[in-house]
Amino acid sequence: MANEVTKTMPPNTRLLRTDASEVTVDIRTPDLEINFGPQHPATHGVMRVLMRTDGELVTGAQPHLGYLHRCAEKIGENVEWLQYLPYTDRYDYLASMNNNLGYSLAVEALLGVEIPRRATLIRIICAELNRIGSHLVAFGTYGLDIGAFTPFLYCFREREWMMSLFEKICGARLTYSYIRIGGVFNDAPPGWFEEVARFCDVFERKWPEYVDLLLVNQIYVKRTANVGVISREMALDFGLSGTMLRGSGIDWDLRRDMPYMCYGEIWRDGAYKIPLAKGEMGALGDCWDRSWVRVMEMMESIRIVRWCLDHMVDGPVIGELPKSLKVPAGEAYVGIENPRGELGHYIVSDGGKVAVRTRVRGPSFSNLAVLEDILPGSLVGDAVAIIGSTDIVVGETDR
Amino acid sequence: MDFQGILDRLTAIRAPGLVASDEPRQADPKDKKDKGRAGDPFVIVDAQQLAEFVRACRDDDRLHFEQLVDLTATDPSKDAAELWINVQLLSLKFRHRLAIKALLPKTAASLPSLVPVHRASQWHERECAEMFGIRFVGHPDPRNILLPDDWAGHPLRKDYEFPKEYHGISCE
Repeated sequence: MANEVTKTMPPNTRLLRTDASEVTVDIRTPDLEINFGPQHPATHGVMRVLMRTDGELVTGAQPHLGYLHRCAEKIGENVEWLQYLPYTDRYDYLASMNNNLGYSLAVEALLGVEIPRRATLIRIICAELNRIGSHLVAFGTYGLDIGAFTPFLYCFREREWMMSLFEKICGARLTYSYIRIGGVFNDAPPGWFEEVARFCDVFERKWPEYVDLLLVNQIYVKRTANVGVISREMALDFGLSGTMLRGSGIDWDLRRDMPYMCYGEIWRDGAYKIPLAKGEMGALGDCWDRSWVRVMEMMESIRIVRWCLDHMVDGPVIGELPKSLKVPAGEAYVGIENPRGELGHYIVSDGGKVAVRTRVRGPSFSNLAVLEDILPGSLVGDAVAIIGSTDIVVGETDR
Repeated sequence: MDFQGILDRLTAIRAPGLVASDEPRQADPKDKKDKGRAGDPFVIVDAQQLAEFVRACRDDDRLHFEQLVDLTATDPSKDAAELWINVQLLSLKFRHRLAIKALLPKTAASLPSLVPVHRASQWHERECAEMFGIRFVGHPDPRNILLPDDWAGHPLRKDYEFPKEYHGISCE
């Protein structure tokens, strides 16, 4: 029977199977190339993914970057040390405090200046609050990407408070430039620490809402579990970092494993844990695991903030630095744990007022490279879920 | 392992292409021109053997540098004859880092690609290639990544001249 059927079949069909009474054929359609983006809400910025699809199946994906390239590294070679700080705000604009911190630590590694204890603690509070804010956006907009609108509004409710806290301490809501080389810009206003403590208490009460509303929601689990699985080997080979690594079950966090500032001390006090994905809802390293890690990390950040509030000391908030800053000749690489992974600054100085090289290793850039490998084989609908789960900020991939 | 330990191990396993090491030092008080050097220690490696060196670092069981964190280049000055290739390796198992510097003549800026060793370097090499005009031999996808395909010149070279216009858009 099979031979007879094949003879009469149109040229673009393929015989799948024949039973006694039934013939199943597959109609071959040409591969379709579609542009995902550059203006697509799920790309979280301006990014284009050129996808080749066979029906609903993605067979190839090629990310095209550069739409937000603002020459951050070139600018770094043309402005003075302190003048570059506002530019660091603008690569990962959801975690500006962390960017300020990474750059300041890298310059301080060459300067060898001592940072006052109070400044260090305020830095950690700001960095951790910003991590919460960044994860809230990552988690909320991820829900939005895959069709859950309400949790997004819940997430922005707490983020709004976080931003008003930053507005009180430095006057800006998004691009802070608050953490400076040598310390922080100014001391916290009266009552600020008490309000941070209140924020922690309220956040702790609100946090279970995210878990109930979205994280363990059956629709959400069905959309994300077993989708976009990144294996351990792949995660290491592609140089992934941060939540992407921990989402694949690799126990690594720079705050604990290569401590900077006083994260080592906080860890030894047992104040925080490192959430590690276990593949509870599906395969280890799927989209659900990555979002689980982010939600859990928010609570750990709250614990770190509380530790800093408890151990706050009085004193100056910025070290003694000359007005016209000259950095000793040399080169240093400093990597810190940003909400999205390892933010590295490689800085070369020849002893002058301007850097010879300011290299920014953005975590989103490395994390995004994995798309070329995990998108093929998934469904078009899942592509949105996979891109959202990598939690990229295009300002940072393009810099 | 600290830097000295890593260096001893690299010497012991005869890592291919290892040339020298450079550690930060204080300025010599007698020599007024000497400013010393601040920052991190690093190893200097022959650029043509960089890929093999990184492979040896990855495969050795005492070094275990399983991640390539960053690959970039530096143009130290307009008059310099050589570019630097800067690689940062990380070992998650032993919690140590290694900074590598390879010197590459500007007149023949080409070296074997690191992609067969670490897939992570694929995009970093593309960025390096467009920004510095370095050719990575054997790279699977040598297109521009951040710059447009028809962009002239290599912006992070110190002798780069800013264009006057781009497709009728004034750049001044």
